[in-house]
Amino acid sequence: MRVKVIITVTCALAVIVLGVAFGSVWIPPGVIWEVITYRIMGTELPEHVSQAAVAIVWNLRLPRTLLAFVVGAALSVSGAVMQSVLRNPLASSYTLGVSSGASLGAGVVILYGVTIPLLGAMSLPLLGFAFGLGTIVLVISFASRIDGRMENNTIILTGMVFSLFVNALTTLLSALQREHLQRLVLWQMGSFSMRDWQAVFILAPIAITGALFVAHYNRELDMMTFGEEQAKTMGVNLKRVKWLLLIVAAAITGSSVAFVGVIGFVDLVAPHIVRRIFGVSHRYVVPLSAVFGGAFMVLCDLVARTVVSPSELPVGAVSALVGAPFFAYIYFARRTRSA
Amino acid sequence: MWIMLTVNNVSVGYNGVDVVKGVSFCVGDNENLSIIGPNGCGKTTLLRAIANILPYKGDIDIDGKPLRGMKHKEISLRIAMLSQLSGIYFQYSVYETVMMGRYLHIKDKLLGLPSKEDKACVMSCLEAVNLASHADRAITELSGGQLQRVFLARTLAQSPDLILLDEPTNHLDLKYQIELIDYLKDWAEDGGRSVIGVMHDINLAMKLSDNIMILKGGGVKAIGKADEVITDSILEDVYEIDVAGYMRQSLKRWEAIR
Repeated sequence: MRVKVIITVTCALAVIVLGVAFGSVWIPPGVIWEVITYRIMGTELPEHVSQAAVAIVWNLRLPRTLLAFVVGAALSVSGAVMQSVLRNPLASSYTLGVSSGASLGAGVVILYGVTIPLLGAMSLPLLGFAFGLGTIVLVISFASRIDGRMENNTIILTGMVFSLFVNALTTLLSALQREHLQRLVLWQMGSFSMRDWQAVFILAPIAITGALFVAHYNRELDMMTFGEEQAKTMGVNLKRVKWLLLIVAAAITGSSVAFVGVIGFVDLVAPHIVRRIFGVSHRYVVPLSAVFGGAFMVLCDLVARTVVSPSELPVGAVSALVGAPFFAYIYFARRTRSA
Repeated sequence: MWIMLTVNNVSVGYNGVDVVKGVSFCVGDNENLSIIGPNGCGKTTLLRAIANILPYKGDIDIDGKPLRGMKHKEISLRIAMLSQLSGIYFQYSVYETVMMGRYLHIKDKLLGLPSKEDKACVMSCLEAVNLASHADRAITELSGGQLQRVFLARTLAQSPDLILLDEPTNHLDLKYQIELIDYLKDWAEDGGRSVIGVMHDINLAMKLSDNIMILKGGGVKAIGKADEVITDSILEDVYEIDVAGYMRQSLKRWEAIR
């Protein structure tokens, strides 16, 4: 197990380096290191490192790659939580309406130009986040009102109903304001382009805090996989733990969606692949989903920005195109071997 | 002996429809109770109410303290439940699964890690169910009977005063059925604890306890010592067949085989 973990973490670090090094101009890893030490520790810049290289690494690729890693990690941790808490392999924050809510928030900003005073450009991520989180709070409150025991099926069905309702509202708003429709569609496709350090500095603490919070509940998550009744009789305060974990998972998804748009698939597959490789204990599933999902997202972004360079592909589509065959291989190869 | 559990006029059900209707009984420490009755009479539902899984009307007290006012943690440290197997399990090891029973004992410890005492408790529970040598195996590789014993070990690891068993001998062969009941009787007797078991097998019900409660249609048909309640007429009324006649016929067949 230890070897597998070391290999995975090393691969993830290599992918991050690759993400920064690769692009229209190849920047060797040594130069990347020199730029980082120059910017952070103020060491002297060697002569062979140009200011252009500094700008590419520090202003463009490093924040973008780190943002992709943080988003991938956050979405994967959120996916792992949703699947375990709701005991449904297809559950995700998106099933419960987070992306629908965030899209509605983005629609309000993009289509109608609504901004929050003093926040300017931050209005879009903030309203996206608030609407996303608001939707899931409504979903869980409604589910607990109609079913005091907050059973998983009730939560999932309520999430789907709210999701469809909120999507319909966004469609309605879009139909009435068609001139900005393309911007909204592009936002919904998800992208890491034009994102700077500000997004990393805001999102990274949220994702790290959220992941640590979830990791703290790894034992409860393990017990919940045996079913709600058994977890409850073993002493898990089920309703409270469920509420907390769903809200935290939604918050980390919501904040990611707010900054980079809707990126699906990684939250679904990363936890499944990690379970296949490392087993089902959440002591491993939570942190390694973050590592695996983060690295996966960096790779997807790399493909998205280099395949048809200088144009870009939507990273959400790339993640599904790259991830689906990989997921199928991991799943079916194991099944074929054991057959 | 003092009264450990008092159930007074308890009704419980699903979606507003009561399945258990106004049931009352009490169980003392060192005393076990077997609950029998036909399918759908409310046996499991009643256990779920006592385990605080389902909301109920009426009163349930443990050591004179209302269950309703007790904290979640306090209840699970007193009452553990061995449920029926659900069929969907993940690849946790036998040891990890039984350690989950120590959850409340570990939770508030520094770093939330199991102590030597917790580890020793898990191993002794595994030894009690003859699975110590299987500690590292994945539960998905076990037979139904072995899995049932793992969950019994997990229930024991909770160190409760009262164990609720929901058809615990399902999936077990005859040897383990008898061993399980004997072990639980000793467990209750040694520590001033109690076991309430929902059973389908009337013989095993009588083996677990001399106190039998028979449910019919959500209500108590009879409660008392086995020789008072296991009568031809009560069993025929509850199961709607001649149970006693069937048992005697079986016995005759056994005697003929001998």
